Amino acid sequence: MATHEAALLRHEHAVHAPAATGVWSWITTVDHKRIGILYGVTALTFFAVGGIEALIIRLQLARPNSTVVSAETFNALFTMHGTTMVFLAIMPFGSAFFNYMLPLMIGARDVAFPRLNALSYWIFLLGGLFINASFLVGAPPDGGWFGYTSLTLRQYSPGPNIDFWLLGLQILGASSVMAGVNFIATILNMRAPGLTLMRMPVFVWMSLVVQFLIVLAFPPITIGLVFLMFDRFFGTHFYDVAAGGNVLLWQHLFWIFGHPEVYILILPAFGIVSEVLPTFARKPLFGAPVVIYSGILIGFFGFGVWAHHMFAVGMGPVADAAFSIGTMLIAIPTGVKIFNWLATLWGGSIRPTVAFHYAAGLVALFTVGGLSGIMHSSPPVDLQQTDTYFVVAHFHYVLIGGSLFGLLAGAYYWWPKITGRFLDERLGRVQFWLLVAGFNLTFFPQHYLGAIGMPRRIYTYGPGRGWEFWNLMSTVGAFGIGLSVLLFLVNAARSLRHGALAPADPWDGRTLEWRTSSPPPVHNFDAIPPVYGRDTFWREKHGDSRGRKPTPLPPRPDPHGIHMPAPSFWPLVTALGIVITAAGALTHLAVVVLGAVVVLVGGWAFALEHHRNPAHVDQVGNLGVDHRKLAMWTFLGSECFFFGTMIATYLAYKGHDKVGPHPHEILNIPLTTISTFDLLMSSLLMVLALHAVQRGDRRQARMWLFGTAFFGLIFLGFQAWEFTAFVHEGLTLQQNLFGSTFFVLTGFHGGHVALGVAMLLTLGILDLRGKLAVQDAPRVEVVGLYWHFVDVVWIVIFTVVYLIP
Amino acid sequence: MNRLPTQPLGLCLRAALVVAAAVLASGCAFDGPMSTLVARSDLNRSILSVYRIITWATVIIGLLVFVILAVVLLRFRERPGLVARQIHGHTALEIAWTIAPALVLLIIAIPTIQVIFRTQTAAAPQNALEVRVRGWQWWWEFRYPSLDVVTANEAHVPVGQPIVFVMEGPDVIHSFWVPQLGGKRDVVPGRLNRITLTPEHPGEYWGQCAEFCGASHANMQLRVVVDEPAAFDRWVAAQKAPAPEPSGDGAAGKEIYARSACVGCHTIRGVSAGVLGPDLTHFGSRTLFGAGLWPTTADNVAAWVKDPPALKPGAKMPNLHLSDADSKAVAAYLVGLK
Repeated sequence: MATHEAALLRHEHAVHAPAATGVWSWITTVDHKRIGILYGVTALTFFAVGGIEALIIRLQLARPNSTVVSAETFNALFTMHGTTMVFLAIMPFGSAFFNYMLPLMIGARDVAFPRLNALSYWIFLLGGLFINASFLVGAPPDGGWFGYTSLTLRQYSPGPNIDFWLLGLQILGASSVMAGVNFIATILNMRAPGLTLMRMPVFVWMSLVVQFLIVLAFPPITIGLVFLMFDRFFGTHFYDVAAGGNVLLWQHLFWIFGHPEVYILILPAFGIVSEVLPTFARKPLFGAPVVIYSGILIGFFGFGVWAHHMFAVGMGPVADAAFSIGTMLIAIPTGVKIFNWLATLWGGSIRPTVAFHYAAGLVALFTVGGLSGIMHSSPPVDLQQTDTYFVVAHFHYVLIGGSLFGLLAGAYYWWPKITGRFLDERLGRVQFWLLVAGFNLTFFPQHYLGAIGMPRRIYTYGPGRGWEFWNLMSTVGAFGIGLSVLLFLVNAARSLRHGALAPADPWDGRTLEWRTSSPPPVHNFDAIPPVYGRDTFWREKHGDSRGRKPTPLPPRPDPHGIHMPAPSFWPLVTALGIVITAAGALTHLAVVVLGAVVVLVGGWAFALEHHRNPAHVDQVGNLGVDHRKLAMWTFLGSECFFFGTMIATYLAYKGHDKVGPHPHEILNIPLTTISTFDLLMSSLLMVLALHAVQRGDRRQARMWLFGTAFFGLIFLGFQAWEFTAFVHEGLTLQQNLFGSTFFVLTGFHGGHVALGVAMLLTLGILDLRGKLAVQDAPRVEVVGLYWHFVDVVWIVIFTVVYLIP
Repeated sequence: MNRLPTQPLGLCLRAALVVAAAVLASGCAFDGPMSTLVARSDLNRSILSVYRIITWATVIIGLLVFVILAVVLLRFRERPGLVARQIHGHTALEIAWTIAPALVLLIIAIPTIQVIFRTQTAAAPQNALEVRVRGWQWWWEFRYPSLDVVTANEAHVPVGQPIVFVMEGPDVIHSFWVPQLGGKRDVVPGRLNRITLTPEHPGEYWGQCAEFCGASHANMQLRVVVDEPAAFDRWVAAQKAPAPEPSGDGAAGKEIYARSACVGCHTIRGVSAGVLGPDLTHFGSRTLFGAGLWPTTADNVAAWVKDPPALKPGAKMPNLHLSDADSKAVAAYLVGLK
């Protein structure tokens, strides 16, 4: 019976408060739904830019020896097409749905850290604009989205082109990791009562896997980019063969990120399809736990197969064989997903909406991309296919046939929820079939072109190779894709003005987002809906297989009433500071300083505003830990990969120096033992500080907090002294590989200590002003976690760099 | 109920059949000069043996998925009286479709591993001919250490003899690739990579750099000419001979060459000893120049010498601002270096 539902929905409509309007309300918004919309609109805009780049590429390749664009322009176009589509279109499309849907689907009122969420968005937007600003100054990145060294070193790419790219990617990485930490805390800790992990919708599960992939895969590429930045700006030798460096280090770091990135792009689509297919087949997802586990396995294996992108670099037969087998293994959980989707449809009562078309389209087209991927997993075959159009065909089947089709399924599926209006189904079908035709005409022939030897990334080709006809067809198809995207925009624009109004639950949905109005109120749910099992909402409407309906539990009242987070402009300010800093790297040191000051001020204001908002007091969630602690643990996991990568590089380069000074000639172990001891003692003081705050002993708390900070400062003083002494003895960043790796590793650690000191001093000042009470202990605990982690990292560095000869 | 033709899916299936038939009828040729599917060496034969197995395996799996999907979409379309059965899963099925792909993968994995180890053996055969390949922005240098021969962009090798191509990277990463002779191998600065193969048919094989290497990546092509042993010996003898003395226009060209910046980068034995550009001692003996871009004719070479970056984006050879007459003279000289 639906009367209970109807009553509930009427009630939610009744309390639906009008949301703030105007540009300022969007700039300062911390509402996950608005941020989701911002992500979506921005992603669509960048998608259009990347699409136009693709069309120019296809125009140039339509005929042999064509002169639509120059070689240099072509190289910039494919570099920016790849960079834009991966980082500025497909990933943020996913983020749009994470933002809008995850809190609704888990029955939460917002994400764990709404302002951090806004910060992620603004950093993403400004980072994307920063990379694209390179076009305005006539220096677009042109080293490929993969940016292989040594082509991207200053010697071979002297202009600022690559600088725009490497700075922009670091900025975007920061945004992604922040969002990842935020969503992990949200999903794990803010689920509705009864929503156990295995009851979570598969989209939520796939999103969770993706966030872990982001948090763990971005540190290696960030390190790779940091090394590249130091090589280009400060003359270090990370990728300098002449100094003993290894250009393949970049490829390893890039692909350790790059392969999980593939799953970052595809798993959200898999999640969406796992929601859309059951809804329109009116059946539960077949083998839901298996689909979930296979997604986790895909994510897990995804970290172990990066070198299958490097079969041509000559790793030797053993490595080739190992990475080949690993890659083949990934096909198993992927295939399992496909079979479960087919089984979901089997015996269903399929309503072929446009959303369903796209989901079924994914099953078909992704399969093509997955199977050609299996072909590459065999190194002998890969050596003929890699760097040809066969690979271009392969990954467009994965990223368009998979990711984009999944995201479009999500767009048609959730559009009524987000806008309160339907997209036109008839126009949607035309758009779907046009995309299917255009896409297949563009990319299927590219398998053939690759097989008859057309390499990737060539701006032109001569006649006589048999490449002419299908290149022309491919270009025709690309314009079909363009037209289809245009139709989608028309459909969207028309829907916003004239679309039929959508009820709360237009598709007879299964998950919690359909239980609230379309669009949802600012606070999402008047009462957080309790969950009894998988597809609770469906069961409330239709009963289980025997027609039994769950007995409704009384909604649990919110202990503090509904407190929505207040708007804030500090996320935008902080993001601006980051981009100003990056712009300074390309212009003048003074601009860097200005940017850093803006970041500091913004960050401080960000940390201290809303200090006493009652919504922030109780943050203990489903896992029984505070959101902030959960987020810090997640962030520290990311940091482990960050420092792990750097320490691994130090070890890999150890002893490869062509010139001295060598470590044993210069390291002062007794002195560093003292500073290490000092840092260890600071951890002890940190423990005392936390206990004092928890007891409410303000005098002691103040003493130990400032004491910890003071010990940290002593450590930094030792480090400064050590660095100065080394420079005097001839060890600089530029001297040799040891200098490069040593200063960057210990320097980054020192930066972490400095950040810790800043946080401790902030806590100390809060205490002096009487604002650090017992209920603020989690803040101290979080800073403490960070501080202990930084100490532990130092113990590892001290052992690896100083103690092991 | 004649539902099929009105459904988009049915239309699509029909369209797909028509397209597939058209493609088959038009006869996509798989034997182009860069085709990976033509085996002209033992290496590519090994590769294609795995390629064939994988292609069949993936095509069969793909067809299976497509057929199941089509059946499901047609059979379980919403209609009055059709109620979806609420099935949550089936353990035996899950196990089955986990194991089945694993078995298929085994069929692929075993020959894969065999071919990897067969084609990447550590030691080259005793009688192998070593060819040192250097990838430069944007041309290829070939050195034959045992024969004391240096050439560019057009390598000659004898048929039936194992060849070890040893890759050295002097600047950025390139990838050496002659599709009909086998898979590609990257030319990586700071590493010595190798690829061992035995060419099995005489002929001229096209190749191209396969790793993006900057502005003129597309213009970094090459040829490998597989000769009968006797023809190869003649080629070696001709390459070892000193550069022929020019006459007429060519003599003037030699003089211009010798007093211009050319000598800083190019070697012509007896005239100059530059090492940054291709060795030109027997430039005229190569059918193409500019890294496989243009036939070696006097007119083409004159146009190139006049303004290289205009013809080849990013070319490291600068415009030396030679007059038309001087360019022609230099071209006459170079083309005469048979």
